[in-house]
Amino acid sequence: MNRLLALMKREFWENKGAFRTTPLVIGGIFLAAMVMFLITFNHFDNEFQSLRELLRFVAQQDVDLRAKVLFAANLEISVFFSMVLAFVVFFYLLGSLYDDRKDRSILFWKSLPASDTLTLASKLLAAMVVAPFIFWVVYVITHIVIMALFAVVVMVLGENPWTLFLSLGSPFEAWSLVLVSYFAQSIWALPLYGWLMLVSAFAPRIPLLFAILPPVILGVLELWVDFLKTFTLNDNLFGLFGRWFANSPLIMSGDDHENGFGAALGIPITSDYDHEVTLANIFDRLFSTDMLIGLAIAAVFLGAALWLRRRATES
Amino acid sequence: MNYVIEAQGMTKRYKSTLAVDNIDLQIPAGRIVGLIGPNGAGKTSALKAILGLATYEGKLSVLGKCPSKDRAVLMEDVCFIADVAVLPRWIRVWQLLELTERIHPKFSREKCLQYLSKTKVTLEHRVKQLSKGMVAQLHLAIVMSIDVKLLVLDEPTLGLDILFRKEFYTNLLNDYFDEERTILITTHQVEEIEHILSDLIFIQDGRIALDSSMDDIQERYAELMVPPDMAAAARELQPMNERELFGRHIFLFDNANREQLKALGEVRTPSVADLFVAIMSGGKS
Repeated sequence: MNRLLALMKREFWENKGAFRTTPLVIGGIFLAAMVMFLITFNHFDNEFQSLRELLRFVAQQDVDLRAKVLFAANLEISVFFSMVLAFVVFFYLLGSLYDDRKDRSILFWKSLPASDTLTLASKLLAAMVVAPFIFWVVYVITHIVIMALFAVVVMVLGENPWTLFLSLGSPFEAWSLVLVSYFAQSIWALPLYGWLMLVSAFAPRIPLLFAILPPVILGVLELWVDFLKTFTLNDNLFGLFGRWFANSPLIMSGDDHENGFGAALGIPITSDYDHEVTLANIFDRLFSTDMLIGLAIAAVFLGAALWLRRRATES
Repeated sequence: MNYVIEAQGMTKRYKSTLAVDNIDLQIPAGRIVGLIGPNGAGKTSALKAILGLATYEGKLSVLGKCPSKDRAVLMEDVCFIADVAVLPRWIRVWQLLELTERIHPKFSREKCLQYLSKTKVTLEHRVKQLSKGMVAQLHLAIVMSIDVKLLVLDEPTLGLDILFRKEFYTNLLNDYFDEERTILITTHQVEEIEHILSDLIFIQDGRIALDSSMDDIQERYAELMVPPDMAAAARELQPMNERELFGRHIFLFDNANREQLKALGEVRTPSVADLFVAIMSGGKS
């Protein structure tokens, strides 16, 4: 256990930029945007006259409606973090078993009494737990700072921030849901993570190419065969990926975004799951047949990655 | 007898080439063994098999364990430095020490800091900021602070200046080596290690060309230096090898009668380097 934690710490040290600096930059962008927004408003709108009116108007709206919109907004602040997190994890895993082969430091790591299984586990857990958790912490901090800043502005403009928004929107619930969705997404994405680690253990160079090209070629071939056979575009690798993506438990918007993402991508989504953001709906995905198949695929990929890692110093 | 390394018919094949060809090895504890061979002789392949870094055919046991299956367990009692500096470039020295301390049960931080205090390496340095020699110093400091039964050094002092190399081997002998420990070294700079070795193994084309203790070598091999007019007489005695230096002829004999040799000229124990050249060039019989 101590060894596993030490190895995970190693992953954090090596990827400090991606795991820690990146979310901090996003938080910074949020805060900068907010400050710029206020300055711009003040520039065109003397003494925040219309902002004051706007707040007055909002304060007069129905409490339930305000709570609902606020809750959605609270969740949506996480979307930017989640998207960047997905990229960070993608490229982290792609390099996870490749970088130390390239610079030959694998010879040092293999001189330590840590098994390849433990090494692989530490890298997978860094992607599944460490990175999401750090992003989540920064998201929560960013959210708190934004609320605090806004509360001051609201107070200055003569409204009560507590009744206007602080007491509404259930931030704690939003934060918990986002954290749960991050870990759920880590499990949901295991087949992809497994594939990335496999490519990372295998690729002689440019892992990105090896990760993307084979599935794309396979998908195009499938499309072509389908086209020859039936003149309809049936389920193929692209459709599968689209469905996997659209059904993921990651919170992509605050609403119950029925068909939202699939429609935007042009994928005809059959609603396999209820997309309203609730704990039950998140777990619904995890305890599904789809997930079971996904886990089986992930196990095959990870097993292959481990096999390759054992032989990485062969030549 | 329990051997630290025991191999029987160990073979390593890369597609079409045989890197290690059916070798038998028995290395007992408390020895300093030099594994010497020309480039591409199969030294690194043999070491990789011993360290569990590569698969092999045949029987191989290191400290009673099977390296290809139990690498992680084996590494608690075995330490190695591969031929080039392989420390991760991004890491800071303190991070490296902390990691090693937490992963390796037999690592002593105090010892390591003591070794490092003699160098210019500081804890805040990143490996990529260090010069090649400093990286090697750091790696050696770490390895020498781990209390293991077998230490494998593959060209440990490559690219280091002569002061450091001398000091390294002195430290290795005085502070590190004892009867419990075994050290296996490969290097091209044989002259530097020949007086610390207890055993010598020559490897050529994947086969063992010589496997002997240094004591046996001193008894078995003799070097004879004669003036030109005695060269013909020396040749009569069937030397392994002959060379000329400053007008004098130098012959290397295997199991020759020393009294007979002394009658012809000056007799000495050959250096490992000369022995190596003689065996590698002519000793294929």
